[in-house]
Amino acid sequence: MAKKSETTACKECGVLVSVPLHLGIGQYRCPRCEGLLYRRGQPFSHVIVMALAALTLFLPLLFLPILDLNIMGQENSATLFKAFWVVYKDGYYLIALLALWTGILAPVAMLVLLLAILLPIHFGHRPHWIRHAYRLYETMREWGMAEVYLISIVVSMVKLHGMGTLHIGPGFYIFILFFLTFFITTVWFNPDDIWLDDALEN
Amino acid sequence: MRWKTDIDAGVQLCLHCRKLHPLERKRCDRCGSPLFQRKPHALAKTFSLALAATLLLIPANLLPMMIVHSLVGDDAGTIMDGVIYFLEHGEAWIGVVIFVASVFVPFFKLTVLFYLLWIVRFHRHAKARLGLKLYRLIHFIGKWSMLDIFVVALMVGLVQFKNLATIVTGPAAIAFMLAVVTTIFATEAFDPRLMFDHENQRSSDG
Repeated sequence: MAKKSETTACKECGVLVSVPLHLGIGQYRCPRCEGLLYRRGQPFSHVIVMALAALTLFLPLLFLPILDLNIMGQENSATLFKAFWVVYKDGYYLIALLALWTGILAPVAMLVLLLAILLPIHFGHRPHWIRHAYRLYETMREWGMAEVYLISIVVSMVKLHGMGTLHIGPGFYIFILFFLTFFITTVWFNPDDIWLDDALEN
Repeated sequence: MRWKTDIDAGVQLCLHCRKLHPLERKRCDRCGSPLFQRKPHALAKTFSLALAATLLLIPANLLPMMIVHSLVGDDAGTIMDGVIYFLEHGEAWIGVVIFVASVFVPFFKLTVLFYLLWIVRFHRHAKARLGLKLYRLIHFIGKWSMLDIFVVALMVGLVQFKNLATIVTGPAAIAFMLAVVTTIFATEAFDPRLMFDHENQRSSDG
């Protein structure tokens, strides 16, 4: 394999550096500020499988309860979405929508965009809208907060257990699995790899 | 040591796909992102957003986050009330988690942002590396301040038992959420490369 390199600049301190393409395993850091310049991702086929697994795990989360609370014989359960729905009904639209967006929709949108980028490439196409999907994905990375939502469920459990009898629903365990597969997908996928062919041509 | 930067070479970097371009180009020909050598108006944007977030944190900490209606009566608690409640009731660790996520992280982030602005504005190049480490840190911990918003949403969603016990979102939640979001935008608007710029010139001057 030809050892080619691409000249780029560090996003964090501006130094010009030449990064070898096809590094194999490992990563490349800025010589001045040690910022990450390039980290080789896993093969796209692996990423696709993991993203499909994550999306599949997401579907039952629409219906399964994450928590059940029983106070003096009255029972109430919450799915991932119902919590936000009550906040929305109370008139706190902004909070409900933002929490819904960062906690659930942004991670799912990331998975969908990722598949929209990788599936055509995997089957040998490169539609012109890939660049738009790529930019959306990069923007979305700032807003996906599934892990914060996950921990907040644990905090809520502790806060609520004095109020009544609390049961953990199946949705909670599936949410943990969803988050793990989602997390592995994003770690495996290096969006820079989409441009590898382009970089090799120049 | 002297480093050759994009400014020295007269090129600009696409922040999305890392391709280098000549200065006159407006959009990246590889991924279509708008191009600029440094984020436009980074200082003004970061400063005004950080200032807005600081102001929003005042009502966020003084007003109640959520209001509990129950048979015992109504109870409206601020963020610190919640922390103190858990510290006093033997579940100190959860109190610490809430304190770190909802009180410490937002104030720490804003303090760091003002410090970074100070580094750029007064050309403290010696502090650039420390500044960059702090910038990476606030980037990493920033989203955790949303924790309390999710907790409030879950509690409100679950505790709906008519007159037995009902939890309602408090006005502080809006202020707090806006503070978190403006802080995220402020961090996004900042360009860490500004801290390093003209480092070479300075060292040759002096």
